[in-house]
Amino acid sequence: MTHGLQRLTRSAVLTALALALSVAEGLVPLTILFPLPGLRLGLANLVTVYALCRLSGREALLILTARCLLGSLLGGNLMALAFSLTGGLLALAVMALLVHLPGLSLFGVSIAGAAAHNTGQILAAIVVLGSRAPLVYLPPLLLCSLVTGAVTGGVSMLLVQRLPAPGRA
Amino acid sequence: MKRILSVFLFFILLTGCAAPAAQTEPSQAQFFSMDTVMTVRVYDGPGEEAVQAARQAVEELDGLLSRTDADSQLSALNAHAGDGISVPLDSRVTELLAFAKSVSQLLPGDFDVTIAPVMDAWGFTTDQRQVPDPQTLAGALSLVDSGKLEVDKEASTARLEAAGMEVDLGAVAKGYAAGQAAAAIRDAGSSSALLDLGGNVTALGRKEDGSAWQVGVKDPQDTAQTLCVLSMEDQTASTSGGYERYFEENGIQYHHIIDPKTGYPADSGLLSVTVVSENHMLADALSTALFVAGEDAALEFWRSRTNFELVLCTADSRVVVTQGLEEGLRPTGEERGYTYEIARR
Amino acid sequence: MRSPAADRRRPTLWDGLTALLVATAAFLLLAALQSEPGESLTAAVTLDGEILAEYRLEEITQPVTLTLDELSYPLTLLVEGDGVSILHSDCPSQDCVHTGKITQAGQQIICLPNRLIVSLTGTHDLDFDAVTG
Repeated sequence: MTHGLQRLTRSAVLTALALALSVAEGLVPLTILFPLPGLRLGLANLVTVYALCRLSGREALLILTARCLLGSLLGGNLMALAFSLTGGLLALAVMALLVHLPGLSLFGVSIAGAAAHNTGQILAAIVVLGSRAPLVYLPPLLLCSLVTGAVTGGVSMLLVQRLPAPGRA
Repeated sequence: MKRILSVFLFFILLTGCAAPAAQTEPSQAQFFSMDTVMTVRVYDGPGEEAVQAARQAVEELDGLLSRTDADSQLSALNAHAGDGISVPLDSRVTELLAFAKSVSQLLPGDFDVTIAPVMDAWGFTTDQRQVPDPQTLAGALSLVDSGKLEVDKEASTARLEAAGMEVDLGAVAKGYAAGQAAAAIRDAGSSSALLDLGGNVTALGRKEDGSAWQVGVKDPQDTAQTLCVLSMEDQTASTSGGYERYFEENGIQYHHIIDPKTGYPADSGLLSVTVVSENHMLADALSTALFVAGEDAALEFWRSRTNFELVLCTADSRVVVTQGLEEGLRPTGEERGYTYEIARR
Repeated sequence: MRSPAADRRRPTLWDGLTALLVATAAFLLLAALQSEPGESLTAAVTLDGEILAEYRLEEITQPVTLTLDELSYPLTLLVEGDGVSILHSDCPSQDCVHTGKITQAGQQIICLPNRLIVSLTGTHDLDFDAVTG
């Protein structure tokens, strides 16, 4: 297999995985436990973290964008695209930055990513609604992101370390 | 480390995601009594019990004092007017009658507890409001004389000397009820409460946070607004104003506060009078009496006493507040053209 | 591309600091958004920036049901003396229904698909406990 084709396949598989994860998560929404709009575990973020650590920022971005586009096609909701894309991109940017800092583990990276994701979602909602109203949801969402971030951080740590590095299998 | 961290995080989640802590809700009841809406809110102690005790105290009094209920003690007193019989009454009724009579004597011409025949002539006690013809009015006015109300507190009896005389306790009953309700709430073991008996506001103790109760004074020219906000503690604020109950005939407004000197609605240049006092009954009676008396007489009377404070709203949009209310006073009507003055002794 | 974070197996002190930073931001924002608690609440129903209806909750003695059929996803609001809730909505997320009843100044129900906001505010000029007169 040529190098380019290998990359394409890898990205495609990871995109499919991310999409499957986010759909699976939608089946068991956390909002049943906590009635907080926008609250989710962020399982698809696992793929982003993995891609950031084991592939490259460019590929992570590619996978994220594809996932969001396909996800909104599946869900049939353009507004949802605005939220997931803004949140996802902001989270990616923050994590791409932090993942190369010396002191942090994937816990911290994921928590920051989850917090950034929620912030992005709320910002998008503020723009869409043309009102500062959604801001009241941000503090509880940020606090919840500590937990969701820690959970996905722990899982992604396992994932990154237990899965063989790509291309060397 | 991981476990400690997650426990820590979960604690934050629990405190952070739970609904924001609510202020403790008072126990409260809203009910109709004495021809008005009453609200009782109790903030500490056995709240529900205290609320019910207060409500019961008010409703008992209403049963004793109602002029529309033919079986009430007040109706019995009025029915025996002029027949020489001293009517045995509940001690609360004689206490209230004796007090109302003393205010009538203290401010003669401004207040009279036997004004009822004139009120009836105007139809303020029924729904047939009208300007009475001069003869009817003169006849009714001749029956007004609190000197002919005899009250024997020891025997707990009272007597009206002339036939046709009638007592109406509308100007003092709510104040007395506030005192009784406040005592009932204290007896139940609560010390922080707010009573609104048809615009007579009684503040018991202080708020939960230790600060004084904030009570607004209604703007007589725009009842959705306030003139000012007062700080109160263990006091009643009672307000009388022509805006409360009135009717129009031939383009002229007639309100329900009758000047016992003329038999006509008082025209003293005041739009409203608010009296704040630790004596709940006094606050209620004086708000009516001093509305009739007018600004100068009201301030003069205030200077001769120390047990009440005033907020006067004049027809030329001045708000005169006596110095005892200066602390904690917040004017709220400047935008509507009111000017504020502090009256000093 | 190597990343130090990817190779760590345990959380570090810096992770704790990151978490603390996020928590601090949340609490600061919460404090900034905290509005005056007031006895008298006004519920405003806003659609796409335009106020559809306003209710003074203290004046509500009987619960009021407000049905908005013209929305992209019709919904039914319940306005009560102590708060507002969305009884039913045809929207896919149901977030607004799950929010439950809001009862305090500063709280909101947002239905994004409908661009509808129900917000509770304390009435500013009524910063007192009772009114005489």
